[in-house]
Amino acid sequence: MKIIDLKNALSDFWKEFRKVKSGIFGLFLFALFLILIIFEPALLQFPEANNRWRDISYWENNPKSAPPEWTNFFSSKKSSTSSVLESPEEKDSNMGGLRMKEYTFIYNYDFDLPPQDIIFMAEGNGDPMVLLSFTRPDGESIDLIQKNYTLGDAGRLRISTEKDSKLEAIDFASGYEEYSVTDKLDPSLVNPNEILFSKAEKGMIKSKIPLKGEYILKATVIMQNENDIVKNGKLIITGRVFGVLGTDSYKRDLWTGVLAGIKWALLIGILTAIISVSLGVVYGVISAYLGGFWDTVMMRIFEIFVSVPLLPVLIVMSAVFKPSIWTLILMMCIFFWVGPVRTVRSMAMQIREETYIEASRALGASHARIIFKHMIPLLIPYSFASMAIYIPGAIVYEATVSLLGLGDANIVTWGQILSDALNSGAVLNGIWWWVVPPGLSIALMGMAFAFIGFAMDKILHPKLRTR
Amino acid sequence: MNYENGKKENIYEIKNLQKWFPVRRTMKEYLNKEQRYIKAVDGITFNIKRGEIFGLVGESGCGKTTTGKLLMKLLEPTGGELVFNGKEVTHLNHSSLEDYRTKVQMIFQDPYASMNPRFKIRDVLEEPLLIHMKNEERIKRTERIKKALAEVRLQPPEEFMERFPHMLSGGQRQRAATARSLILNPDMIVADEPVSMIDLSTRAEILHMMKSVQRDLGLTYLYITHDLSTARYFTDTIAVMYLGRIVEMGDPDEVIDNPLHPYTKALITAVCEPVAGKVNRIKEVPIKGEVPSAMRIPSGCRFHPRCPYAEEKCMIPGIQPELEDTGRRHSVACFRFKEI
Amino acid sequence: MDKIKMDEKNVLEVKNLKLYYNTSMGQVKAVDDISFFLRKGETLGLVGESGCGKTTTGTALLNMPTPPGYIAGGQIIIDGEDIVPIPEKEIRKRIRWEKISMIFQGAMNCLTPVYTIEKIMMETLREHRDMTKDEAYDRMVKYLNLVGLPEHILKKYPHELSGGMKQRVVIATGLFLEPKVIVCDEPTTALDVVVQAQIINLLKDLKEKLDLSFIFITHDLATEAEVSDRIQVMYAGKIAEIGTNLQVYGPQGPAHPYTRRLLSATPKLHEKVEELAFIPGTPPDLLEPPTGCRFHLRCDVSMPQCRLEEPPLVEIEPDHYISCWRCSR
Repeated sequence: MKIIDLKNALSDFWKEFRKVKSGIFGLFLFALFLILIIFEPALLQFPEANNRWRDISYWENNPKSAPPEWTNFFSSKKSSTSSVLESPEEKDSNMGGLRMKEYTFIYNYDFDLPPQDIIFMAEGNGDPMVLLSFTRPDGESIDLIQKNYTLGDAGRLRISTEKDSKLEAIDFASGYEEYSVTDKLDPSLVNPNEILFSKAEKGMIKSKIPLKGEYILKATVIMQNENDIVKNGKLIITGRVFGVLGTDSYKRDLWTGVLAGIKWALLIGILTAIISVSLGVVYGVISAYLGGFWDTVMMRIFEIFVSVPLLPVLIVMSAVFKPSIWTLILMMCIFFWVGPVRTVRSMAMQIREETYIEASRALGASHARIIFKHMIPLLIPYSFASMAIYIPGAIVYEATVSLLGLGDANIVTWGQILSDALNSGAVLNGIWWWVVPPGLSIALMGMAFAFIGFAMDKILHPKLRTR
Repeated sequence: MNYENGKKENIYEIKNLQKWFPVRRTMKEYLNKEQRYIKAVDGITFNIKRGEIFGLVGESGCGKTTTGKLLMKLLEPTGGELVFNGKEVTHLNHSSLEDYRTKVQMIFQDPYASMNPRFKIRDVLEEPLLIHMKNEERIKRTERIKKALAEVRLQPPEEFMERFPHMLSGGQRQRAATARSLILNPDMIVADEPVSMIDLSTRAEILHMMKSVQRDLGLTYLYITHDLSTARYFTDTIAVMYLGRIVEMGDPDEVIDNPLHPYTKALITAVCEPVAGKVNRIKEVPIKGEVPSAMRIPSGCRFHPRCPYAEEKCMIPGIQPELEDTGRRHSVACFRFKEI
Repeated sequence: MDKIKMDEKNVLEVKNLKLYYNTSMGQVKAVDDISFFLRKGETLGLVGESGCGKTTTGTALLNMPTPPGYIAGGQIIIDGEDIVPIPEKEIRKRIRWEKISMIFQGAMNCLTPVYTIEKIMMETLREHRDMTKDEAYDRMVKYLNLVGLPEHILKKYPHELSGGMKQRVVIATGLFLEPKVIVCDEPTTALDVVVQAQIINLLKDLKEKLDLSFIFITHDLATEAEVSDRIQVMYAGKIAEIGTNLQVYGPQGPAHPYTRRLLSATPKLHEKVEELAFIPGTPPDLLEPPTGCRFHLRCDVSMPQCRLEEPPLVEIEPDHYISCWRCSR
């Protein structure tokens, strides 16, 4: 019987809700966020992103400050995308007691702007020697690197052409370019890939006309010791555009960051709103119900909390204590509960005058019974509506605190992404894809709940009044 | 004031009961330490006999509802004494108040407003049981609810229990409200205008029901109303209030057919009657103006500014007419009732 | 504009008026095809239980049904003009308050608490006529005096007045533009008996002096007995009976079983009764009105025909109309 009643109430509510377009839009957004949270593990390209957001080594294979891939669609010069060549041609050989492993990668270059970096990676141990050679479509072959590596315990071999083959590239260029040009080049500022993927001709340093076609990269690993092992070689092409939302200047994938931020935004928003609205509603009702002296006392306490500016307190508290998401939520609750108090108090004052409250008193009902059985149930619609409206507030506050660099260091939130962007001068450098997506997400999440809240307010409020 | 109404004992004795509401002070009054009061109830004395229906009649603002609330212990009296069942109940502590609440119950004017719209009739009736008999089993509570609903003739009880107040008609709602007040087996019920919000066609039905319940269970009612016609039919004793005082009290037939106080006389002439030949005739209403505010009560007899018979002796400050027995179970508070 | 022909003695004629509410549960025929008329200088009382359509009829007469209600058909003819098709803007300018005005239920609460009486009254006046401030003021004073209020009341705020005075102000406002018909919706219900009698006396006095016609809506047959020349009893959106004061309250008693039972349920102060009469049951749900006569379920003299066919309103003697199968024969 009770379940059926609830069902009817809900279906009635839904009928009304459907009429409010903005509410439907809000609900749609909310559903979208929920779906993204549920499928987060599947959608994340970097599964450890949640724990290793601030671990630079986790992101090292990504391009730096790369715009999203789809920007290629809008620009006349196509930037090379990022990719991983994982299944190379593998050849083992033995030459004079030296074991050798030869990986051959074929990269089809069809862009106007060369990749930022080409990284050869492999696993293993020992001290192998690695030779990297590069064959261009025009038949030129360049020996890029010839070096001894110590793999140590990490067992990871990582060779970056961007870092280690600057001189070789300049050398290659000087075969075509005038000496006066190549001599002036500062090797530390040269990206070798820009030379390697350009047509070999005079003026190539300056004009850099891309040479499209099939490039062959050969990595020869010479295992000098008996126990040396190298396996799983792969080539990572670090393009100039990356993923859905690009990367920041710490090479972090922003799509991953935004995606991982959804659940925290929801958690912060909903938890703060539920706790603080519940507190505020109970406080307001009790104040209105008791009336007289206690009402005055409670309202003065309330006014103290209202007049304390939240942000400075939050900043100080975050600076004093180790900022964690939980202390942040707690702090926000301590100040957010005041929000609904005034409205609830005035509503409760009306309800208090209802005859059925007096009837209940005449029956001998206790204060607690009257407050929790008769008064608060009537305020539940309002509570839900105001919760929905407080959620965006909490999300924005967390972002603000994070923006000031005082967020929880163990998680990634939209506010923190924004904060990093600000500190790295993302706006000045035109890295808009670092700023817009998290900002937009905050706005959308806020909007979703604000719309739901307004719609609920519209539906539930008049009912309360006309009863 | 007392009548010897048979040998019945008094269930409730009200002695010089007062309720003054302080008025919010202006700054000047605050500095002069003055305090004005709204004297809603200003010294009333009457007894309610066990098993009778006592009617308290008056216009709005005369203090009849305040009296009801004072007897319900919803308000604390400013002065006077209340004796219920031989025990003083003027001021009660928490535990004795709980006990008192099981003995005295109330029916409100608006049956819809007096029930939480989110409660089913079952929940409405269960509330007093949950408050006062916490340990009773649910099945027994359900039995009691069914019994109470059957008493007020809401049949079948099982069906009505599952309904919400707004699904009932006005009459059915007031029956349910009556059932709620009966469920704890009280001695006395204060009924504040129980039928004034109910359609005329069903009003009598509710009064019938209340009367038969009263007879069956030996209840005592305090019936508060502005309607002299139903009071005459419904009550055993009637008291007319004006500005916080009782001006006339006695047997309802006697008071209405033979009123002594000029105010009662005016009230009775003013009542409309459904008989022919009254249209297009201006009715003589002997008193002028309206009831003054209870904040500025006229000195002397408080009715004198509106009274067509007022003399100098009615206006002497500090001297108010007291209820005076005329025999015939009828008493009146007027200096000049013998002359007029 | 062509004038619609009216009976010379009539000031208002209502023909086949239908007023429906469209709710989520279905259509409620609050007023279902009723016809009546109001003579010059008479008071017609509309009586019935709550929900019978009497107040709805009252608001319809000013062509201002409360939403979601709407006039679904019929004519309301005032002064030879059907006001139903007239657009709202014109009604407000030309008809409402000018030709027909209304005194509302609980009128004392319709005075805006933040304005003085003068400002409240001026509001109605200025919408309608080009009048200088002085003229308007004189007019206000004239009508206030007529309802027994002194001039200085104009400077007061509503909360400074008593209930009876407020009701008088509302009556003065209703009279103000000298309409021919005044609809009073329970003007005395919220008042105390003594004040009630004073207001009733005032209305009777005004009727004489200003030659007004009243429609007096109330649920109380006792009040109607003192006010109305003719009584129109309504039940579930239909007219049950229309009769003169004498026909309804006289020794013969009313003809319709509903009126008879309603009258006997009205308590009489000077009559000692053992048992008050009442009508068992409740008025029908207008979402699904019963077939045939709408009263047959509560009627003690109903016949099989009552359940099947709806009785028409017929004149059984001069000025006495009744819709009942049993009693019209």
